[in-house]
Amino acid sequence: MNAKETVSRLLSSEVKGDLLVLFHQNPGLIDTFEGVALRIGRRADNIENDVKDFLDLGLLRTKRIGGQRVLLLNRTKDKETQELLATHVRDTSTNPARTE
Amino acid sequence: MTTGRTKTGIAELDEMLRGGFLQGDAVMVAGSAGTGKTTLGLQYLVNGITQFGERGVYVTFEQLPTQIYRDAENLGWDLRKLEDQDKFRMVCTSPNLMLETDGEEHVLTEPIREVQPQRLVVDSLSHLEMYVDERQLRKELYRLIMLLKARQLSSLLTWEVSQANDRPISISDVGTTFLVDCVLLLKHVEIESAVRKAMVILKMRGSDHDKRLREFDVTPQGITVAAPFSQYEGILTGTPRRSLTDEAANSWASAFTRKGQKHS
Repeated sequence: MNAKETVSRLLSSEVKGDLLVLFHQNPGLIDTFEGVALRIGRRADNIENDVKDFLDLGLLRTKRIGGQRVLLLNRTKDKETQELLATHVRDTSTNPARTE
Repeated sequence: MTTGRTKTGIAELDEMLRGGFLQGDAVMVAGSAGTGKTTLGLQYLVNGITQFGERGVYVTFEQLPTQIYRDAENLGWDLRKLEDQDKFRMVCTSPNLMLETDGEEHVLTEPIREVQPQRLVVDSLSHLEMYVDERQLRKELYRLIMLLKARQLSSLLTWEVSQANDRPISISDVGTTFLVDCVLLLKHVEIESAVRKAMVILKMRGSDHDKRLREFDVTPQGITVAAPFSQYEGILTGTPRRSLTDEAANSWASAFTRKGQKHS
């Protein structure tokens, strides 16, 4: 997947944007689906599909804490994604034709 | 056997503690909102990293801990940089997850594995009250404190008390102070129409400590501890009054004597 595709997938919904900001600003967040949803003012079922997309991209990961499934940021993948986004923004601002 | 000390890096507080908290102890920092519990917790961790080479983990139950990063930055502490260096971790989670001890992993397992900390702050234990009833709370806190001790962490646990009830004894109805090794109380005090801050060590197992009430302040460099409130008494009761110093007593006595001589 190239940078443009990744960017459009990362920002394809408002929920995704909110999740990105939340985890980026709070990289140590470890919480249940309900807990994460609450932190962006949503319900768990509202974020399910978007979270699934982030899990597929490897940006988020899940694990079991006791009897609960929790979400957390994949710090390595987050760094890669940030670099990818920075490169994409730099390229498109210096060469707008590349966004076409 | 001698036990090492975990210095806070705040010279006057370490002096009050006769060198620092005892290594591996669970310390409760109790106080009402705005007394500086969070600042003290962060300073304890940042000083641990920068002055003593001891890494730290900060656990918060805040909904949006972004402002903790911001507030720390205003005090000159770049927490994100320390995280990048794997010397610090901010764990932001829900209180109910903190209480999950079944299964292989605890919510702190991964941060502890990544950072290998010597220090840990939980801010604040009071949030756990929302998830367990009073009878269970003491048991759950005991379990959590034992988990931290098993990992040989010197922990600092904040505890919110209401300003109206922050009496020196019985901070909590469920007896949480009994579970910890040291209790440091932070308190707002009103003296001569100004709100000032006071700290006192209420308890420190296995060590002598300063029993006096000391004034402190939250400055742009963090917490600074000043001299004891030697001219006042009754501060903890909420109705402080000037104590009769030797100097004042002598001058009052001489005045009284002079007055007596005049009338004789």
